[in-house]
Amino acid sequence: MSARTFRESQAVDFVIVGSGAAGGVIARELARANLSVVVLEQGPRLYPANFEHDELKYWFMGALTPDAVKNPMSFRHSAAETAVAPVVRPPLFYARGVGGTTLHYTANYWRFHEVDFHERSLLGPISGTGFADWPISYAELEPYYSKVEWDIGVSGDAAANPFEPPRTRPYPMPPVPVKSSGVLFERGARKLGWHPAPAPLAINSRPYGGRPACVHCGFCHGFACEVMAKASSASTVIPQAEETGHCEVRADSYVSRLELDKRGRATGAFYLDREGREHFQRARAVVVAANGGETPRLLLNSANPQHPQGLANSSGLVGKYLMFNYTARALGVFEHELNEYKSVQVTRILHDFYDADPKRGFYGGGGLDARIGPQPTIWAQRTATDGPGWGKAYKERLREFPRSMQVACHTTSLALESNSISIDPTLKDAMGIPAIRVTYRDHPDDLATARWLQERGTEILDAAGALRVTKGAITESSLGFHLLGTCRMGNDPATSVVDKFHRSHDVRNLFVCDGSSLVTSGRGQPTMTIQALAFRAGEHIARFARRNEI
Amino acid sequence: MSDYSFSRRDALRALSALAAAGALDWSALARAGHDAHMTAQAPGPIRYTLLGPADAADVEALTSQIIPSDESPGAREAAVTFFIDRALASFFAHWQPGFLQGLAQFQAAVRAAHPQSTSFAALPAEQQIEFLHTIDTTPFFDQARLLTVCGMFCSPAYGGNRDGIGWKLLGFEDQHLFEPPFGYYDRDYPGHQS
Repeated sequence: MSARTFRESQAVDFVIVGSGAAGGVIARELARANLSVVVLEQGPRLYPANFEHDELKYWFMGALTPDAVKNPMSFRHSAAETAVAPVVRPPLFYARGVGGTTLHYTANYWRFHEVDFHERSLLGPISGTGFADWPISYAELEPYYSKVEWDIGVSGDAAANPFEPPRTRPYPMPPVPVKSSGVLFERGARKLGWHPAPAPLAINSRPYGGRPACVHCGFCHGFACEVMAKASSASTVIPQAEETGHCEVRADSYVSRLELDKRGRATGAFYLDREGREHFQRARAVVVAANGGETPRLLLNSANPQHPQGLANSSGLVGKYLMFNYTARALGVFEHELNEYKSVQVTRILHDFYDADPKRGFYGGGGLDARIGPQPTIWAQRTATDGPGWGKAYKERLREFPRSMQVACHTTSLALESNSISIDPTLKDAMGIPAIRVTYRDHPDDLATARWLQERGTEILDAAGALRVTKGAITESSLGFHLLGTCRMGNDPATSVVDKFHRSHDVRNLFVCDGSSLVTSGRGQPTMTIQALAFRAGEHIARFARRNEI
Repeated sequence: MSDYSFSRRDALRALSALAAAGALDWSALARAGHDAHMTAQAPGPIRYTLLGPADAADVEALTSQIIPSDESPGAREAAVTFFIDRALASFFAHWQPGFLQGLAQFQAAVRAAHPQSTSFAALPAEQQIEFLHTIDTTPFFDQARLLTVCGMFCSPAYGGNRDGIGWKLLGFEDQHLFEPPFGYYDRDYPGHQS
């Protein structure tokens, strides 16, 4: 069957806001349960032939990501500051388009560990924070992690990482070929007695799911895959949802607000098309999966006289507890060429320091990986901030590009009520929709964790025989890639926005599932967990719909 | 090596299959890589649309100190100033007010430090370098460096990185397919031992 279309006046079972990691999965699960679904995506629908190796376009001109002119957002570190809209790059970096951020992500797909779900009980409270347990355990989510690995397509080696939580199935594909950074990372870590392992990636190491194997072009991070070897919702669950004949995906459909009726039930979504004309899609229930930035923005922008604080916000926590994960970098230069710009970004990871250890004197843990990070322009820009910033010495550093790698150290972020997505009081985007204001300051323990892990990263590079090891500056975050925690799950309506099935506590037929649902940040690489949550949410929401409980 | 190693032929076969299924526009894929080279090779004199001659000379002198020309070409040969002029007049028009204001302040600071000189570009190289050390933490310098980096290393299609000079400096190959081994250290890798 081919994708069908629905009339706006026709109430479909579900309107889903967002077609990314979570929205795509939920659309497929609901459509396969014979429920009618309209997916509204703010960005365009693009295909592999549209994608290019063009750093200017994708990193500076907002081809896929929020553009400083068309989609401005403001940033401040604390409520005491006036938020300012940056001119080069808005403070949230995510992809707009069918497939969402899965279009341009790095596709690192490690699972969260058991400890991520009950760390608060294990370690006790941390004063001044919203550190909390999840309402579900790793064991409850495990079947859905396996589903992600097999249905989306993840390559990896199940036996390799001794710290990995229990699993019921192996990976469906072996890991992608190791890179020089992976070999050196493994060599250094082994000398130190640690346990490096092949990176699990949502990138095909061999043809899988009707998509080809990776051709090692090297443009993953910030770029959409030109051969579809990197799994994106756009190349997996979205077309599968359409194949059911029960799902329509509407691109260039920018949801501006949700509507509730007098009984407090969601009736559908107002959205703007490419020309700025307003439409309304009627639905029996609404699923918001627009990412941890856009989801709270939509709920807050949907405020009405009955809900002056915004929808689903009786707790006051919509938009609060924003978590980015911090990434510290240790940089190494070696004698011979690595050519890290080729192939996938990461081939080896290390989870020896995943768990927090109170003996360190601060909360936090993390995962390390071997990579160079982005391609020439971003690398050259970063190099200028890591060492001599101009002149002959800078040019010498630039020449080290093929012989360089970095160890990226991904940390926990503590949930702080003061870190948030809110609505800027004056700023609007080009469509006239009130814009996001980001307030973010890393907790001191997050930065302490970053510095501590960075030391481990430098030890690995030293042990691997690097000629020179330097540390990337650790400064306060002002740009978020992982947008987590802003509509957290929980059992108590006073301290969470959605319940353990992603149903909002306040509005019975409004569901929220994406990075905003996370209660803790994990140690980076959240997409795997977002998709596991989405498969689980899709199953439960379909069950509610069948029982007329929406 | 384990059973997942694959050859260029396998990769091409996979791509061809996709192209045959209509999922991939082969010609577009090839074009993306090669347009850039065509632009880079197109001859013609450089004409500025935004910057006047004096401003262009100062910007060129500044960017040439950020990535100097020595035994290999630098920002000057990569036509970084041409890129900056074009960028500020079109796709980075929203950076333009800040840049021009910063440039004016930069030039005023040069005149204050060197009253006898007509411009930054007219200063001897040693004096240019000495002066830059006094302003290299200003927002204008950051912006000029970011534009220099973009003009040096982004696709030649935008007017900079002429003849792929920036990519040659880095040792970056602009290709759409690679196969292992990618570097020195992953040759003869025995496989991961758990």
